[in-house]
Amino acid sequence: MKMGSLITRTVALGLVLAAAGTMPAQGLLDALNEAVEDPTLPVTATFKDTRIVNVQSNETPAEGVLHFVIAHRFGTLNSGAYELWGLDNAQMRMAFDYGITDRWAVGVARNTYQKTYEANVKARLLRQSTGPNAFPVSVTWYSVAMANGLKAPTDVTPYYFTHRLSYVNQAVIARKMNENLSLALVPSFVHRNYVQTSEEAHDLWLVGVGGRYKLTSRFSINGEYHHYLTQQFEEGFSPSLSLGVDIETGGHVFQLHVTNARGMFERSFLAEPAGSWGDGSVYFGFNLSRVFTVKG
Amino acid sequence: MNIFLSLLLFASFTLANAQQFMTRSGQVHFFSETPMENIEAENAQMSGLLDASNGGFAFQVQMRAFHFEKALMEEHFNENYVESEKHPKATFQGAIKDWDNTWNDGDPHDVVATGSFDFHGVKQDRDIAGTLTWNGKAWEIETRFPVALEDHEIEVPAVVKDNIAPVIDVDVKATLDPR
Repeated sequence: MKMGSLITRTVALGLVLAAAGTMPAQGLLDALNEAVEDPTLPVTATFKDTRIVNVQSNETPAEGVLHFVIAHRFGTLNSGAYELWGLDNAQMRMAFDYGITDRWAVGVARNTYQKTYEANVKARLLRQSTGPNAFPVSVTWYSVAMANGLKAPTDVTPYYFTHRLSYVNQAVIARKMNENLSLALVPSFVHRNYVQTSEEAHDLWLVGVGGRYKLTSRFSINGEYHHYLTQQFEEGFSPSLSLGVDIETGGHVFQLHVTNARGMFERSFLAEPAGSWGDGSVYFGFNLSRVFTVKG
Repeated sequence: MNIFLSLLLFASFTLANAQQFMTRSGQVHFFSETPMENIEAENAQMSGLLDASNGGFAFQVQMRAFHFEKALMEEHFNENYVESEKHPKATFQGAIKDWDNTWNDGDPHDVVATGSFDFHGVKQDRDIAGTLTWNGKAWEIETRFPVALEDHEIEVPAVVKDNIAPVIDVDVKATLDPR
């Protein structure tokens, strides 16, 4: 009895020592995982570019990065073979956006459509993050002032410079749902100093939804839709709906899409989209962006 | 006898813990050199654990905590190459070969850590050579080892084949303090 007890104890002691010796090596990675809290890290690359199709995404150029965009919208797809389904009739937008910091960007642009100039500011207010202090969404603010550069109409007197101006403020609330799916909710406020007829509203409220789904790491399908909350909307315009793809090749992002918006600036694609999906008066187009690291 | 056993048991656990050394701020740096472009990244948040009773050794590093000179490189690294959403960490777990309790003499010792290196979700058994030095208070570890992208199923598309080296050099530097 006493002897048996001693053997049991010796065996137990041996087991304990063996366990003490091997235990740390076996579960060292688990022990490390337990001891170290994952850091809070911002979620990056919710969208590949600063735009989903027409509308802004939550992304801004990084600090010291110049983001250069050449975009085209061709004529309507229903314009027939003579116009090569719109390809003979291109509108262009050239834009320069610069990241002052990782959170602030400013930009200027010029559009062929209505010879419109743009000046904009974009700020990342909140960033989606993971880890102990996780935050569910990114919120980016975008404000743009647009100036119509066409010759003054002769039938409007007086016609001041302020007649040419319109403004858009919007918040981009975005969430990278998972590796492939990102969604955005974009409430917009459009103010137009001058409208063509008294039926049109100077102020318009819209709420947009946009998203992308990555099919491969370098290819995604994108879409956006803007719903009018304001009733006074010019007849003949249907809400802005755009579908497209993002193709990434090294330093370039190609965005190819079809949209019922003729212009590429906010006033045009939010308030005056011009085309309609119903009758095929939609426009094929692309955005081609390239980044230049100006300042290390 | 029972008290003696309990004491021994207690002592053996505390001893094991007292012999653990840890870092949360190890530095990892990697470098890809090609005639077209040099790419490098830094991460100062490597965590590591060393069991000085037997040389047991583990480290882990968050892929998203690597910082590059260009923001676009960082985005491509996370999105297209290491897929950090799917594989957030790289880890190593193993032991330092032929662990010798007399290495704490202040001299640098050439050692080999042997174990499993898990990167991009692909595990490889590796022998990684480095130096180990006891500075009087903590263990200092330094190593440089190559990582072949192919071994970890990291695909480089043809258009950028000339810009990214097929084998990346990784430098690790860490000071592990008593836990």
